[in-house]
Amino acid sequence: MAAETGTSSAARGRGESVTRRMFRLAWEMTSFKIGLGVFIVLVGAAIIWPELSPYDPMKISVRERFLPPIFLEGGTWAHIAGTDQLGRDLFVRSLVGLRNGLGIAAAAVAIMFVVGCALGVISGYWGRWVDIILMRITDAQLSIPVIVLAITILSVSRPNPFTVTAVLVLAGWPIYARVVRSIALAEREREYVRGAKILGASDLRIAALMISPNILPPIAFVAVLDIARMMIFEALFGFLGIGIQPPTPTFGNIIADGYKYLVNSWWIPTMPGVFLILTLISINLMGASLERARNKLFKGIV
Amino acid sequence: MAFVLTFLIRRLAQGVVIVLLVTFLIFTLLRVIPGDPVRIMLGPATTQAVVEARAQELGLRDSIPEQFVRYIAKAVQGDFGESYFIGETGIALTAQNVVGGKGQDTATEQREAKMTRAGVLKVIADGLPYTLMLAGMGLLFTLLMAVPLGIAAGLNQEKWQDRLAFFIGSVFISLPNFWLALVLILLITARAGLLPSIGYKGFGYVILPAIVLAVELAPIIIRGLSMSIAQALQAGYVSGGIVRGLPWRQIIVRHVLRNSSIPMLNLFGVQIGGLLLGGVFVTEFVFDYPGVGRSTVQAVLQRDFPVIQGVAILAASILVLANIMVDLASTFIDRRLKF
Repeated sequence: MAAETGTSSAARGRGESVTRRMFRLAWEMTSFKIGLGVFIVLVGAAIIWPELSPYDPMKISVRERFLPPIFLEGGTWAHIAGTDQLGRDLFVRSLVGLRNGLGIAAAAVAIMFVVGCALGVISGYWGRWVDIILMRITDAQLSIPVIVLAITILSVSRPNPFTVTAVLVLAGWPIYARVVRSIALAEREREYVRGAKILGASDLRIAALMISPNILPPIAFVAVLDIARMMIFEALFGFLGIGIQPPTPTFGNIIADGYKYLVNSWWIPTMPGVFLILTLISINLMGASLERARNKLFKGIV
Repeated sequence: MAFVLTFLIRRLAQGVVIVLLVTFLIFTLLRVIPGDPVRIMLGPATTQAVVEARAQELGLRDSIPEQFVRYIAKAVQGDFGESYFIGETGIALTAQNVVGGKGQDTATEQREAKMTRAGVLKVIADGLPYTLMLAGMGLLFTLLMAVPLGIAAGLNQEKWQDRLAFFIGSVFISLPNFWLALVLILLITARAGLLPSIGYKGFGYVILPAIVLAVELAPIIIRGLSMSIAQALQAGYVSGGIVRGLPWRQIIVRHVLRNSSIPMLNLFGVQIGGLLLGGVFVTEFVFDYPGVGRSTVQAVLQRDFPVIQGVAILAASILVLANIMVDLASTFIDRRLKF
């Protein structure tokens, strides 16, 4: 126990080594390897297959409507996941949906991470009225259900990739701001910050170059989990008709369009969901493993 | 008990500020974003002049602060306005059955429509019992599923219980609620015919939506519970209890579980509250369940300002109150926590 505390606090002093140790710990877990493997396969397929496939994700083909997926009677290798009510190949459409969903979610998390963490450091380090105002804003923001916020904005402002990303950022930044603020608050009192102050470093320099690199890496890994959460939101918006609009395929709008055929051609609304869930599980396995690794690393300190 | 009173007064005052802020945010957002509710209300065939007159009548052309002050002044007296679209009898007033889609005789028909518009409080009160029942059942299922698993995982770190909890948590958190709802409708209702769903005609209609809610909430409780129990097991009082010769069961029940219930309560305030609210909106929408959530989704799609504002105030107030109660409860469990 004592030895463990000693090594991890030593590791904590150098931001880089915490990162590397976390990765090594996570890599030892089977769950992380499975997650990474599935993720690479899916993303690889999403990048390559739509370009190679003979099928256009948006092209309508009346003769090939309602074809079942390969594992059902009448399914063919030509359309592994079947076709939809307009004869479009569901495999290609799901993969393009994966591209869109993952791209938007990753962009949103990156932006909310930067914005939220910056505001959190400012709030925690400078304190005073900036802190009071920012924290009341996060309180208010966190009291609005994401769905209400999203439909309020998206139902009127003609949803496109940019507005969808903006809504996700708006919904997600307060949590980062709050977590980072509470850590920065404690960090402000530490030796190295006081030392730097005595040596005459400016507040901006301390906050940006000393505190931030120290506290952000562990949070960055938790952000991985948020990518999955944002993908669910993006799909949900599509399902409610306030996401990216058809014919551009997203998980949400494929499922929403196929909803009518649930009873007779159940694969249309459910197959895209299978790809979505596989992606989400792979991200969540990686994220949860990293989080476990972090908890092991920081055991006895936090 | 004086400290409880000062605590309550201070927190309630803060809560009022938060609710006001939320209201103002939603209020402004609704009005700044393009899209005219009056246009939706009267239909595309109405002339601009009629739309303009109606907007004036509803006070929608005044400045936003002016509208906001007027709204708050009324809301304090319990008047949250009337829905733009829902009639007193609960029938939706669409552009067609309000003005016949023509734009003639609008003046009289508008007045009639106005007479029968339902109050926001009534719209909410009509749906609230259903929503509360759904939320209650959802929470019950969540606890039944998550508490035994979370405790088992926390007490048996790195054993199969822990792995199982980790696996179930990762899978459940990856199931989008609307997709799960579709699959359950397909398999349980349409194929197997085991449980009814879609709409509401009796208690059986609550179960599937409640399961969807529970699957969404359970992973958070499982993870939170197992983490805080594992942490509590490391605390000094556990080895202290062993040294004093207390039975293991007593250490766990009296000390470990009690101490790890505080982080759980905090979880309930923010995360569970928020997720439950969001989950209720989606499940009610997919299952066509007649609660507040379904009315809200419809209200937002129609830009029914008064209803959205009323629900936003309600939702924010519930979250704020939940947080206050959580903090109060934690101080009763652990006296060391100062307000």
